[in-house]
Amino acid sequence: MQPVPQNAGYMIAAYIVTGVIVVGYAVSLYLRARRAFRP
Amino acid sequence: MRLLRAGRWITGIALLLLAGVYVRALAYTPMERMQGMAQKIFYLHVPAAIWAETAMILVGLASVFYLFLKDPRLDRFAAASAEVGTVFACVILTTGPIWGKPIWGTWWSWDARLTLTLFLFLLYMGYMLLRGAVSDPGERARFAAVLGICGMVLVPFIHFSVYMFRTLHPMPIVLKPSTPSLPPVMLATWLMSLGVFSLLYVGFVIQRYALSYLREQLETLGEVGRGKGEG
Repeated sequence: MQPVPQNAGYMIAAYIVTGVIVVGYAVSLYLRARRAFRP
Repeated sequence: MRLLRAGRWITGIALLLLAGVYVRALAYTPMERMQGMAQKIFYLHVPAAIWAETAMILVGLASVFYLFLKDPRLDRFAAASAEVGTVFACVILTTGPIWGKPIWGTWWSWDARLTLTLFLFLLYMGYMLLRGAVSDPGERARFAAVLGICGMVLVPFIHFSVYMFRTLHPMPIVLKPSTPSLPPVMLATWLMSLGVFSLLYVGFVIQRYALSYLREQLETLGEVGRGKGEG
C-alpha cells in the first residue's frame, strides 16, 4: 500500500493564509467605519 | 448605523463559526489517503471559490437592474459585492497554489480554470479601480455596471472550463449533476464551511453597503470633500 503523503505544512499554511485574509478584511471594514464617524 | 451593527454581528458570528470549521476539518474529518492532509484545503478553497463566483454573478445582476432602474441601492450593493468577491478571490488564488504544489508538483499552471480564475480576480481589481477613478457618481455607476455585466458573463466559463478544456484542475466533486462523490463526514464539513462562507459574505456585504451609504450621506452633508472618486 502506498504511504500517505506527509504534506500537513501546506494545509497549515492555507488555513493561516485564509484566516489572515478574512480577519484582515473584517478589521479593515471596522477601521474604515470608525474613520468615517471621526469628526 | 443599525445596518452596520447588524453586519458586524453577522461577521463576528461567522468568524466564530469559521474557527469551528477549522476545528472540525482538522480534528474530526478523516484524512484522504491519496492526497494526505493537503486535501483538507478543499474545505476552504471550494466554498471561497463558490462565493467569489456567486459574488460576481450578483454584481452582474445588480448592474443589469441598475441600468434599467437607476436605483443607487443596486449600485451600492454591486460595489459591496465586488469588494467582498475580491477577498474570496484572494483566498482561492492563495489556497489553490498551496494545494497544487504538493498534489500537482507545481504552484501554478496556465490552464483554462486557473487562468480564468486569475482573470476573474483581475476583473474585480479593474472594477474597483474604475470606481475609484470616476468622480461623477452617475457615470461611475454606469461604467461599473457595464464591467460588472462582463464579469458575470465570465463566471459560467470558469465553472465549465474543466469540461471544455483539458486542465490540471479536477472536475467538480460536489457541484455537479450527479450526487456528490464525497463520504458523508467530509460532505457535512464542506456544507458547514459553505454555510459559514455564505454568512461571511452576507456580513461583509452588509457592512460594506452600510459604509458606502454612510459615506454618501456625509458627502451630501458636505462633511467629506466633493469631487473625489470612491475609495
